[in-house]
Order: sequence, then structure tokens, then C-alpha cells
Amino acid sequence: MSIDAPAGVRAVDSQADLLERRSQAVIDGVESIDPDFVLHLASSTLKIVLDHFIAGAGVRVGRSVFAMPREEEGVAIASGLELAGSRPVMIFQDNGIGNLLTALLTLPQPYHLPLFGVVTRRGGLGEYNSMIHTVSERTEALLDAAGVRWFQLDARTPVDRWAVEIKRAWDFSRATHRPIFVLVNLMGG
Amino acid sequence: MAIERADVLRQLDAGFADSPVVLSLGGTAREMLAVAGRKGNHLISLDAMGQTISLALGLALGLQETRPDEKVVVVEGDGSLIMGLSVMSTAGHLKPKNLAVFVLDNGVYLATGGQPTAAADIDMVAVAKACGWRDARDVRTSEELADAVSWAASAPGPVLIRVYIGTKQLQTNYFLEDPAILAEDFRRWLRSTRPAASVG
Ligand SMILES: Cc1ncc(C[n+]2csc(CCOP(=O)(O)OP(=O)(O)O)c2C)c(N)n1
Ligand SMILES: [Mg+2]
Repeated sequence: MSIDAPAGVRAVDSQADLLERRSQAVIDGVESIDPDFVLHLASSTLKIVLDHFIAGAGVRVGRSVFAMPREEEGVAIASGLELAGSRPVMIFQDNGIGNLLTALLTLPQPYHLPLFGVVTRRGGLGEYNSMIHTVSERTEALLDAAGVRWFQLDARTPVDRWAVEIKRAWDFSRATHRPIFVLVNLMGG
Repeated sequence: MAIERADVLRQLDAGFADSPVVLSLGGTAREMLAVAGRKGNHLISLDAMGQTISLALGLALGLQETRPDEKVVVVEGDGSLIMGLSVMSTAGHLKPKNLAVFVLDNGVYLATGGQPTAAADIDMVAVAKACGWRDARDVRTSEELADAVSWAASAPGPVLIRVYIGTKQLQTNYFLEDPAILAEDFRRWLRSTRPAASVG
């Protein structure tokens, strides 16, 4: 069965095709933000996206791209960057949400700092790890309990809308002075 | 005789009167308020234990183009440093020239009643250097501190200064400011002091 095919079109997509198309949409969305800092914590699902920013066409003068060893450290660094007037984007995997909640709720949320993250989903359809769903599946519940606003991009949103929605979520973080996460399902579903 | 925290804070306030200073939670922030009052250049972290250096690292990275000659100064506690130790690797890797960290090491979690930390067994100077920081030193006396303050102001960062302090505490009031106001006050100070060359 085709995923993301236009209505009425029957095509056979491999998971690799899907990953590539959705990854490109994420790249386009993040590039439309024109971030000067990209903080990342790797995921196998993020390889295409991170390759773009670390060593691909996303490398540019005036842009700094680096790994955060822990998500909460990334939240604090991004908070400092926001205070300095920079445009940081965090990119990481949803099983790290638990790591960053305390930092999020003691820095950007109460200090009214915008902060923006693209979070790749794990533990759903197409998952190959037999355990990761135990944390990843709780992502929405954890964020809701913490009062953190998030948006989901998956098969329900046509992939050609993803980039626009990512930019709108960034704008929303500025407009509402708080952290906003976009959860992206790059694996299918 | 050990130097006490309030004396260190007085010296840091005087030595970095025109630089961004990021203050760790608890007694460090409250005693700075007691000895220096509310300062536009002081960014107070009210509770984010473990994240003081990371917050300042972000500031330093964000300001290094527009304010290259000015240090972002961090006043961190030993317990909080250990909680967020991973940032030592990130700062050492990114090497912002404008980051200077003072760790006020009393060997305990003083704000919560003085429970011992693991600091006594950590060579923080060696950790910083091993992580790629440009330099680091230990400070045990007022004279060494005075030296370290002027050194930190001019030496290329990131640099770490571990200041061994006693456990005397000032009697202070609770500090109940709204964090959103703390952030906005600090941003206002940044804007008001932005070097002319970078305006626009
Ligand atoms: C996540 C988290 N756990 C525990 C605390 C409670 N707490 C507040 S201050 C503090 C001690 C910090 O120790 P240190 O950084 O050495 O500073 P000192 O109190 O010694 O000045 C602790 C444990 C906290 N604020 N946040
Ligand atoms: Mg301590």
C-alpha cells in the first residue's frame, strides 16, 4: 500500500522512500527557519536530516551545528542562544523527552523564552526495536502532563505541507514566547 | 583561612560590572543579590540545577560575534556543576573564547543543608583541560582570586576557575521575582549595552 501517495494514485513505497521524502520535508522546513544554530542528538531515523546539516548542503558560513550530549543540556544552551537573539533549532529523538523535562520547565517555559525542537518519533509502525515504544509511546502524555505544546506531523498531513507547518510552529514559538515541539514520524504511520 | 562565598561574589561583581554574569540557583544567587543588589547584567537561574554553564554557553555562542571582547561569566556551584557535567565536553569542543566559569566549591550541597558532594575527589582543572578547555586554575586565597578575575577577563576562553570556599552563609531573604521579568530585564540590559558597531 502506498503511503503519502496523492489520492487515487497507487504506488508502492518502500520504507526507505518514505523516510527519504519525509526527511527532505523536515530539511526544507528547518531550512525555511534559517537557523544559525542546529543542536542535534542523533537517531537512526534522523540520518538524512542530520547529514544535511552536518556535512551536506546545510553547511554554511554563520551556521553552527553541533551535538548535544544530553537533551536537557541542549535545552539550556538553546535558552541562552534565544536570550542572545539567535535562532537555534534542536533536532532529536522522542525517547529523550524525559531527559529534558526538568530543564524545560525550569528555564524556557517559566522564563517565557521561545524554543523550538523537531522530535523524531520512534516506537510506532515500522519500528524495529522491541522495547523503545515503552518510552516513545508516552511522548504525547509526558508533554501534555508538563503543559508543553506540541504538534504532530505524520501520514495525516500531506508531506508537501510539512515544511510549511514546521515554519508555522517555529513562528508560533516566537508568538507565544514558549517552547514548541514538532513531532515528526519519519518511519511511517 | 578559607575565603567565603560572599567575598568571592563581591569580587566577581566588581570585576565583571559590565559583562553578562549568569548566577547559579540557591544561595549563590541570593547572596549576590544581598551583596550587589539587582543588576541588569546578572542573569539569575532560579532553579535549573545542572544547567548554569549550559545556559551561559548558549549566551556566549550567541554573543561571540557581536560582543567578542566581553566575557560571559558563570558563577556555578560544585553540586550543580556535577549534575550537568556533560557540558564540560560541549564547551571544550566548541571553545567559545568568551566563556569564563567560576565554580564556587564548598564541597557540599549547601542550599539543602550541607550534604557532601563528590567534588573532593574531582580534579576540576584536569577535567576542564582534558575536555579541551583553553585553560583552568585553582584558587584558594583572596590574592589568587583577584589575579584570576583579571586573568579570566582577558584570557581566551573557555576558562574554568575553581574557587575553594568555606560554608559560611549570609542571612538572605527569599527572592520571589517572576522569571519572565528576569529574562526581560537581562535582554533589556543586553540591548542597552550592545556595542555600537553591531546595532542594526
Ligand atoms: C533537579 C534538582 N534537584 C535538587 C534540587 C535541590 N537543590 C537546590 S540547591 C541544591 C544544592 C546545589 O549545590 P551546589 O551547586 O554545590 O551549590 P551550594 O548550595 O553548595 O551553593 C540542591 C540539591 C534542585 N534545585 N534541582
Ligand atoms: Mg556546593
